[in-house]
Amino acid sequence: MNLDEVLATFFVECKELRGEIENLLLHLESAPDDADAINGLFRAAHTIKGSAGLFGLEDVVAFTHAMESLLDAVRGGQVPVDGEMIALLLESCDHVGDLADHAELRAGESLEHSVQTRGEGLKQRLRAYIGGKPTAGTAVSVKPAMPDSDQRSGEPVGNGNGDWHLSLRFDKEILKNGMEPLSFIRYLATMGTINHLVTLLDGIPEIDDMDPECCYLGFEISFNTDADKDTIANVFEFAREGSVIRILPPHSKISDYLELIQTLDPDNHIRLGEMLTACGAMTAVELEEGLRTQREREERPEGRREPLGEILAEQRLAPKETVDAALAKQKEMRESKAREIQYIRVQADKLDHLINLVGELVIAGASAHLLARQSRQTRVQEATSLVSSLVEDIRDSALRLRMVEIGETFNRFRRVVHDVSQELGKAIDLEISGAETELDKTVVEKISDPIMHLVRNAMDHGIEPLEVRRARGKPDKGTVRLNAYHDSGMIVIEVADDGGGLNRERIYAKAIERGVIAPGQTLTDNEIVNLIFEPGFSTSEHVTNLSGRGVGMDVVKRNITALRGSVEIASREGEGSKVCIRLPLTLAIIDGFLVRVGDTFFVVPLDMVVECIELRGQETSVSCESSYINLRDEALPYLRLRDIFREQGRRGRRENIVVVQHAGNKAGLVVDELQGEFQTVIKPLGKVFSRLQGISGSTILGSGEVALILDVPGLIHRTLSRMEKAPGQLSH
Amino acid sequence: MSKTILIVDDSLSLRQLVSLTLKRAGYDVIEACDGKDALSKLGGSKIDLIVSDVNMPNMDGLTFLKELKQRKEYRFTPVIMLTTESAEDKMKEGQQSGARAWMVKPFKPEQMLAAVNKLTMG
Repeated sequence: MNLDEVLATFFVECKELRGEIENLLLHLESAPDDADAINGLFRAAHTIKGSAGLFGLEDVVAFTHAMESLLDAVRGGQVPVDGEMIALLLESCDHVGDLADHAELRAGESLEHSVQTRGEGLKQRLRAYIGGKPTAGTAVSVKPAMPDSDQRSGEPVGNGNGDWHLSLRFDKEILKNGMEPLSFIRYLATMGTINHLVTLLDGIPEIDDMDPECCYLGFEISFNTDADKDTIANVFEFAREGSVIRILPPHSKISDYLELIQTLDPDNHIRLGEMLTACGAMTAVELEEGLRTQREREERPEGRREPLGEILAEQRLAPKETVDAALAKQKEMRESKAREIQYIRVQADKLDHLINLVGELVIAGASAHLLARQSRQTRVQEATSLVSSLVEDIRDSALRLRMVEIGETFNRFRRVVHDVSQELGKAIDLEISGAETELDKTVVEKISDPIMHLVRNAMDHGIEPLEVRRARGKPDKGTVRLNAYHDSGMIVIEVADDGGGLNRERIYAKAIERGVIAPGQTLTDNEIVNLIFEPGFSTSEHVTNLSGRGVGMDVVKRNITALRGSVEIASREGEGSKVCIRLPLTLAIIDGFLVRVGDTFFVVPLDMVVECIELRGQETSVSCESSYINLRDEALPYLRLRDIFREQGRRGRRENIVVVQHAGNKAGLVVDELQGEFQTVIKPLGKVFSRLQGISGSTILGSGEVALILDVPGLIHRTLSRMEKAPGQLSH
Repeated sequence: MSKTILIVDDSLSLRQLVSLTLKRAGYDVIEACDGKDALSKLGGSKIDLIVSDVNMPNMDGLTFLKELKQRKEYRFTPVIMLTTESAEDKMKEGQQSGARAWMVKPFKPEQMLAAVNKLTMG
């Protein structure tokens, strides 16, 4: 691991935290008092700032500091949350993104002027929100333990050696706090030379009163260094609490030493004085003289305490505000609840490799199982079926590793809806449900753009302007809904709006005008609205900034089809539209149902299989490709795979129908033989076959033979369209 | 023998950078992402110093510190708490639980190294 890698981690982390900030801000819009959200925001800004500082990204630090200060004020209840603030913070969050991007991509270059100006503007506005008072940014860290020597009295003493004098009386409890006084002194020695060190044993109590875990020692040190006072004081920064640490610069005045004596050891001046002379800090004569002055001063009542008191006051850090401990505790508990789930970060390609291997394992396992069955040895069969079931578990767990909740993707649209609704001047809410629905990460990545297009479309074309809504008796605020759920092995994602719906006549007219359909063609209402997914279709009267940019609904459809999914729109004029996207949960492995037609094996995705029935002689009609049977008083259209794929091979003794279902439509597929359930890894078809209908992929069987995976939605569609074109071909 | 430092922070990048800095200076480093994780990683082994963030999910730094002080073998282990300047109330609370060493974020890697040196030269 090197610095660049760590930096890369920071940028990823920063991006995630910005996402979190956005979500929380948008959440605050509806719940401005949510303390959890406010704490979360503060923590996110704080983390960005902390890490950025570590990498020396000063621009990011300075800017996030301003955000953090405001959030701190919000957290403390000084500033209430309002819509304007949320907008400001969202903008600030984007700015952090720009700063981070700059640091990532153009490190070393100075910031563009426009970015700089924007940053300054935002910072000013952030500060203005806190009410113009200075930000909480003045660090309380590192303050010198003692004020610099003043000019009150006396002459420099003649110790002449240019040494600093340090008096250390550590907190008795220091060892219990894990601090080792010796460690500090050793560290001090790295900065200069310790010329004298006298250990004071006077503090040690009688043996009975002594706590072996306490530190009773005092140290007087004469120290030579080029470092300044702050640096020396800093050595003891962690020991400051409860300890008395006095640092006298070289050539201090005698009065300073006297004060030192007074402070440290009021009962035993003489002894300490001796120590000081021993250290070379002062001469015996100076001490004598000094003590006399001290006594004289003590006799004057008003003069006695003044210097000492002052020093004491300055020496200790100003007492901090006492804060309600219970309140702090409460806050702490709420914060810890915020994120309970723990994650391990794994590189995506490692995971892909694992899934690939599992895929191979599934095939190899199936092959072993087949051989075992053929061997007719019970024990081998038992062993292989155990292996098979384990492999199945491994496969499921491995696939689950790739599963992510769609909520994260949905949440990103909150920001989109927020921004776009302002841009359009329409009040629009986003409702999200089914956020916990899981699907494959690769699918999630690819579905985000189509959903984005649909959401923008719904907002731009779907939701009506305010006047129209009022006239129709709808609430002023429009709603866009995102919903996700699982349905027979697919994930369904719905993008719905309560807007004006689609105008069928206009679509129909347009479709004819554009040559999408032939004039006079009869279509169901449902088919008409779904024409908008055909290439070259846009009904919007004026092209706006948002949709109608040339990326039409046909692109949405193409992207979804590429994922082995389907898309459909249902719409009621005046009431709204709902786009329904169906996608397979995963792209890698499926549970299949193996069938034989002639000499070829086909796999039907098991989730789509409803039942298998026998096709009896009297119901068959050999003449046409598509017919019906009476399935429990329901007309079930069926397709002969033999005819569709022009199979010549041997026929089965009886034909069977596999009843499949997709998106609420059922159809039958006539096959020669049912082979049973079969777990399989999908091998995508090459580009050459991309226009092939009815087949969505291939797989290798345990025996080494190739089986084709049927494109069930395509086949159902084909069956239904034949049924509508040629009604009256019922075969019974 | 080199000294072992445990760094507890929910920011991966911060952990990695501190870890890198300390490792280059010859320390052994163990990383944990929050208090709970840190407690599970202590496991009775010798730790010379702990650097812990205050504001973390799951188990924050102060709760972690309190738990740590309950364990005999880590009672005397020095702990540096990382905080922001605006968390004075936390500092107060931390001091009651025996946190004496505080570092204000953001800090420079060399500041962290100096702080660690100060506390581990005993």
